[in-house]
Amino acid sequence: MKDHFQLQFKMINRKIAAFGLPLFIGYTILPIVFILLSNFLFSKIELASYLYGVAALSLSSKLSEPKRNDFLKLIFSTKKYRELRIVENLVVILPFILFLIYKRVFIPTLALIIITIILTLINFNTNLNFTLPTPFSKKPFEFLVGFRKTFYLFLIAYFLTFMALYVDNFNLAIFSLLLIGLICMSYYSKLENDYFIWSFNLSPKQFLLEKIKTCFIYFSLLSIPTLILLTIFFFKDLNILLGFLILCYVYLTTLIFAKYSVFPNEMSLPQGIILSICFIFPPVLIAVIPYFYSQSIKRLKTIL
Amino acid sequence: MISIKNLSKNYNKKRVLNSINLDFEKGKAYGIVGENGAGKTTLFRCISGLETYKGLITSAFDKLKDHLGFLQTEPFFFSKITGKEYIQLLANARNISIPKIEDRNLFNLPLNQYASTYSTGMKKKLALTAILLQENDLFILDEPFNGVDIQSNLMITEIIKKLKGLGKTVIISSHIFSTLADTCDEIYLMKEGRMIKKVEQHDFNKLETEMKAFTIGDRIDKLDLK
Repeated sequence: MKDHFQLQFKMINRKIAAFGLPLFIGYTILPIVFILLSNFLFSKIELASYLYGVAALSLSSKLSEPKRNDFLKLIFSTKKYRELRIVENLVVILPFILFLIYKRVFIPTLALIIITIILTLINFNTNLNFTLPTPFSKKPFEFLVGFRKTFYLFLIAYFLTFMALYVDNFNLAIFSLLLIGLICMSYYSKLENDYFIWSFNLSPKQFLLEKIKTCFIYFSLLSIPTLILLTIFFFKDLNILLGFLILCYVYLTTLIFAKYSVFPNEMSLPQGIILSICFIFPPVLIAVIPYFYSQSIKRLKTIL
Repeated sequence: MISIKNLSKNYNKKRVLNSINLDFEKGKAYGIVGENGAGKTTLFRCISGLETYKGLITSAFDKLKDHLGFLQTEPFFFSKITGKEYIQLLANARNISIPKIEDRNLFNLPLNQYASTYSTGMKKKLALTAILLQENDLFILDEPFNGVDIQSNLMITEIIKKLKGLGKTVIISSHIFSTLADTCDEIYLMKEGRMIKKVEQHDFNKLETEMKAFTIGDRIDKLDLK
């Protein structure tokens, strides 16, 4: 078991290094970012502890990936496998647990620990015949794959919209819209296999426009329920609502351009820093979007 | 149809393709054989434009890649995409409309199931179906028979013959010599990034014997099996 965790530690280190971060800086920045984000969440949202719990479970659920678990079951005895899964799940949620204790929310903390342990006892079926239907089949793949992986987050976003109307909180309403935008942005965080870019008989410009068109249509489709409700119930703030909606479209475009701007590589530290600056100070997008666009065209020309 | 002149490829300082010269014609099938690491897949990736290279690859088309169906050794599948959606994705990429994908399911695959749950052979059959439905003029099939059941092997062999009949060009790599002998007009032998031999149909049997002697030799004796 010790070897397993040493190996996991090495893998994390390699991922941090591949992202372009020196290990020392990575291990300093990550906790700071985590604490800042956690504080931000708790200061802005009333039911933050529940949302926080879902985020922790979502992260630990990545360790329940069936093929990974099949592999672990093959190399460890049943007892060792169970112990290992419990320990690694608890390690993953540990930062969340510590922050929840710091916030003195003990019931969600206890619930999170119990659910995490229970999740390790469930055998996930590797050959589920159920296919989650989506309205995105005509234009695979980002929204098709992304939605199937994150559909539960939309339930949370729509629930937050409902709560925003219930408690008459416009900030929460905007947050629910931004959450939908953020989920959709995550669909563009990883570069696809080059075969799926190569297959297109489009020029780089046409390829990017096609990606943006599909993204806009499907993002609009997913945000329509929230938009309709917010327009009706917060009509006086419609201009602010539209402002945030446009911002979502702009960030989605930026993400698409950023993703292909480093092709055939994955986005790493420099792109991460530029994107962070864009989120903190949106006016820089005026310079960043054309930059990412020109880089994407240049990079995609090698394959399209 | 395709002409390759002095094709070379390096990965860092290692030369993986060394001055390859080849010509592929319409309506013919070509086999490429060689040990693992001989450079077959790299050659295919260069022809398809997935790799940069030194040398010249010319074809009758403006953009060769837009007329090329490439079956990879291990086709990549997104984790939550069904067989039908995979075919749709590749058809969209070539701007081709397939009204009823189910009716074109020649291998009887469970198209509404996630492709990532398919067996190795099923994945290969799905990827092959998708590129066939793209209506390409040239096909590169990298190990099309690997992991595929005997019935589908026969089907793929017949598909290759049909493609040839339709005037398409097919380039195949395979470790199963009999399937190449059944379908190919010429077979090229690759070794350490070089094309060392070209064999025409009437000499296929001779090539197989030579390859056996060369590849196997007395290596099994080294195991000292008891």
